[in-house]
Amino acid sequence: MIGKPLSSVSASGSEPVVFAENLRHSYDRRRFALDGVSFTVRRGEVFGLLGRNGAGKSTLIKAMTTLIQPTSGTLRVLGMDPARDGQKIRRRIGVVQQGESFDFTTVQRNLDVYGMLWGIPRAESRRRRELLLTKFGLTDIRKRRAFDISGGQKRRVQVAREFMHDMEVLFLDEPTVGLDVIMRRTLLDSVREEVRRGLTVVFTTHNLEEADYLCDRAAVIDEGKILVLDSIENLKRLYGGKKTIDLTVGNGDSARFFSVLAEKLGSGATVTTSGNSAVILTQDPKEALSKIAELSQTLGAQLEWLNVRKNTLEDVFLHSVGHGGESLADA
Amino acid sequence: MRTPNLIRLVYRNILVNTDPGSLVILIGLPALYLVFFGFGFQAVASAGGAGNSYLTYLTPGIMSFQVVMAGTVGGSMLWADRRWGMLSQLLMGPFTRLQYLFGIMLTSILFGLGGAAVMLGVAYALLGTIPVQPLALGIIFGSITAGSIFFGGLMLYISALVKSNTAYNSIQILLLFVVNFASTVFYPLSSSLPIVLRVLFQVNPLTYVADAVRGAYSGTLTAMDVYQMLVLLAEMAAILFVATRAYMRSDVSYE
Repeated sequence: MIGKPLSSVSASGSEPVVFAENLRHSYDRRRFALDGVSFTVRRGEVFGLLGRNGAGKSTLIKAMTTLIQPTSGTLRVLGMDPARDGQKIRRRIGVVQQGESFDFTTVQRNLDVYGMLWGIPRAESRRRRELLLTKFGLTDIRKRRAFDISGGQKRRVQVAREFMHDMEVLFLDEPTVGLDVIMRRTLLDSVREEVRRGLTVVFTTHNLEEADYLCDRAAVIDEGKILVLDSIENLKRLYGGKKTIDLTVGNGDSARFFSVLAEKLGSGATVTTSGNSAVILTQDPKEALSKIAELSQTLGAQLEWLNVRKNTLEDVFLHSVGHGGESLADA
Repeated sequence: MRTPNLIRLVYRNILVNTDPGSLVILIGLPALYLVFFGFGFQAVASAGGAGNSYLTYLTPGIMSFQVVMAGTVGGSMLWADRRWGMLSQLLMGPFTRLQYLFGIMLTSILFGLGGAAVMLGVAYALLGTIPVQPLALGIIFGSITAGSIFFGGLMLYISALVKSNTAYNSIQILLLFVVNFASTVFYPLSSSLPIVLRVLFQVNPLTYVADAVRGAYSGTLTAMDVYQMLVLLAEMAAILFVATRAYMRSDVSYE
């Protein structure tokens, strides 16, 4: 046990930890980084924000952590308005930023200074520091300057440092970037452990295996809009009866091939293309395969790669980002 | 009892900025000025001041010089915190933007006062005596504090606007040179100076700090020094306002 989740000492209530309604934010008054985002985060859950780079995930995190004020819309964090009660909110949250953030000193001192900044009593701060250094495999590098260590080690220091203080909600912005498989799992398990003890987590990632492993619910965000939001199970169930076909065309006009194929498959399937490859989601893979074969003969296209498989969260992501929320609703 | 946020920020600033290398430069460089210039120029200078000794003349100047060093500490802290992500990290923590700003200003003042005290100690080691009265110490304290706030504010302003490391360092070096050498830190204002330099001397806040500290140090404080101090206080308030405005509007990171 590292710290003490604040929820265990404060009234938990049934109100959402985060409530966002029609949030919009623009950095340049021309393009909206957030464009009508609405969602809630429930107490004690791990809420995932999935999206490509530049989709709006970090902007959303910045808004929820009071670093920026949304241009319009309603946002409540722990029942408070970030524009009015920013400091009160920040006392009850933790944030691991996507970018590096360190003091120009040793790993150990980074943790000590952070504990001091959060007002953790010295003895308790030392106890937590030792626990975290061990847990995140930082003991051997504790005397090294934070700027001299590797990218993965830096990430571990940043995450470990955030657990120095108590919090009700933890915002993790792509926390596993640069971590090896073992450390990634250690981190995710540490988060899970804290969630079991009452912590609420908002977690952004573009690694969908992680989202599958950690999140209770997830929203797919793209170009500032939430395309789909549901529990991980439901998201996968949306495509329960469907299969995914991966297809690569080796010669000829692949764009035309995919366009004709999509027409032939009709509304029962969705085709997401990328160059000369496509991912086809269909309820009837047999029929789709026969149409692919027929079309390849008609157009003289050579099939370089063809694979039929079960759906993953990645397919949910690809299809929602590729076609917008409507196709998912139809599915 | 919970330690106030401001004190915790100042403590953090001191902890992360007082590695031996930085301290040697911050304190060692002005001390070297005192030793090398104090003895080196004695032969060629017969400047005014107590005992007609250039070292005696230079001591309050170098004490005043600390306010510029303190200012650069403040500006560099903001610059580094923004560059290395700590500003946004702190502002997503339990601190407000203003607390962070005042934390830096207070740290600059402490560096200014601490540096001046060390210079006084070095001067005592070199001269064997320090002719400073308790009241004079109060004036020195006030002048160094006001000067540290002025130069801290100025460097914060520059730091809030400049995003490139090279640009920030170049501006800092240029500013240090002009401010230090177009002031009465090293030599008195002379009528033989070209008019441009004379004007520069007279509008330079470091001149006001140096004159007040020197006046208090040698017991020769004049009405002009008091007037200059009032101007310094007005300039300090103005630069603090401008720097706070620029800082409050600036990005918290370079993303």
